[in-house]
Amino acid sequence: MSTIVLDRAAVRVAVDGRHAPKTLLAALTLRLTEQRIGVIGANGSGKSTLLRLLNGLVAPSSGTVTVDRWDTVRAVREVRRRVGFVFTDPLSQLVMPTGREDVELSLRRSVRNGRERSRQAEATLDRFGLLALADQSIYELSGGERQLLALAAVLAVDPEVLVLDEPSTLLDLRNRELLRRTLAGLSQQVILSTHDLELALDLDRVLVVDAGTVVFDGAPAAAVEHYRALCAAGLPASGAAGHRPAPENLQPVQLHPERP
Amino acid sequence: MSGHGFLLANYVPGTSPLHRAPLWLKFLLVLGCGMASFLIVDWAAAAAALAVMCALFLISGAGLRRLVRAVRPVLPVLAMIGLFQWWQLGGPTAARIVLNVLVCIVAASILTATTPVQRLLDGVASLARPFRRFGADPERFALTIAIMLRSIPFIAGAYSDVRDSARARGLERNPRALILPVFITTVAFARQTGDALAARGLGEAETDTQSGPGAKTQPEAEKPTQPAGPGGHALP
Repeated sequence: MSTIVLDRAAVRVAVDGRHAPKTLLAALTLRLTEQRIGVIGANGSGKSTLLRLLNGLVAPSSGTVTVDRWDTVRAVREVRRRVGFVFTDPLSQLVMPTGREDVELSLRRSVRNGRERSRQAEATLDRFGLLALADQSIYELSGGERQLLALAAVLAVDPEVLVLDEPSTLLDLRNRELLRRTLAGLSQQVILSTHDLELALDLDRVLVVDAGTVVFDGAPAAAVEHYRALCAAGLPASGAAGHRPAPENLQPVQLHPERP
Repeated sequence: MSGHGFLLANYVPGTSPLHRAPLWLKFLLVLGCGMASFLIVDWAAAAAALAVMCALFLISGAGLRRLVRAVRPVLPVLAMIGLFQWWQLGGPTAARIVLNVLVCIVAASILTATTPVQRLLDGVASLARPFRRFGADPERFALTIAIMLRSIPFIAGAYSDVRDSARARGLERNPRALILPVFITTVAFARQTGDALAARGLGEAETDTQSGPGAKTQPEAEKPTQPAGPGGHALP
């Protein structure tokens, strides 16, 4: 199991010269060691920024992020070899016209021999039940098949950690279930962001992110409960009359203790 | 969804003579057609060359439908070019220019329809290998071709989507409503592609002097990490 450590990692972006930089993620210290970790929160709360820190797609403005002690800025290549990343929209990450070609592209760096590369690509596609669709255009696949293919293309190079940014957002119920089962069967450490609270309940640990800050970190059921209360508290008063809990009724913030 | 446009045929598995032809010969065919487009000055010769290319495409077994799909997206642009050239330089020159462009597109489609992309990329990487001595990474050449193959249909698809949206809003005659969204979509697509390649570790330099597990890269000892302080986690 990999150990990912965020040490006072913050992300700020300069909007223009006149205003102070906007904080996307406030200084955050975390140690991620569990097999299945989830990040939940509203749109624009900083979930994607947090996940992108983990494989160096976003560099922290201050602090450090390390994966098994490899710094995500200074050793980005080593980090990306260990941490695979799956985007929300598989079409934004599938580079080649067909699944077979895309998986083979993933393997180009690690497997020089063309025949061996084809064999490994075939084995990967077979593992995900995608062999029959291997030569179809990616545009002809269903959303679920594309998401599975994106997953297969990333897992083809056998990363130790798999980071998924809202992998089920574009999927229907059946494909969401398929993805859920597939993720459950992986040996990799999985860190994902999601709006699917049922999926979040399957995990070992869940972080709730709000306005660039982790406001809850702990067991999935409690985290989901906290997130629901947070959402209800943020609804406009007219739209949620009678359902809006007073802020004092929100659960207190649980700072996660050092985890094994 | 953007990206459904087609330009250049996708690989079609088969055993035709064109499938079995060595890659360098097919590269030469495309190169020859590109050069011929500058050399051929007679529209009838250009038409004959196009007929030969179309015949070769059909011999490959890729089929007439794929040929039409490969050519169709460029027809509006070619029609505009043809009309402009006709007005400026007369009918025969306009016909020659349009036919020469079509020859190049069909020749490129023969290459992509009869060669698996990975073989194409291997070929490009081999061709680029001599540049290694100047510090170039052959795999990056191959990756550039891969991205080009992905980007052309995407941009064609984006144009088609934007044109439909403009029509739906009655703005089909407004060039700004057509060009600006395609431009913005293309830039966003380029950024997405860059992110996707970076996330998969594709396109990175072969040698990465900073990535070795040396003292500069790896901390001597893992720093103990503390849970975040309550100040940083307070609810609003």
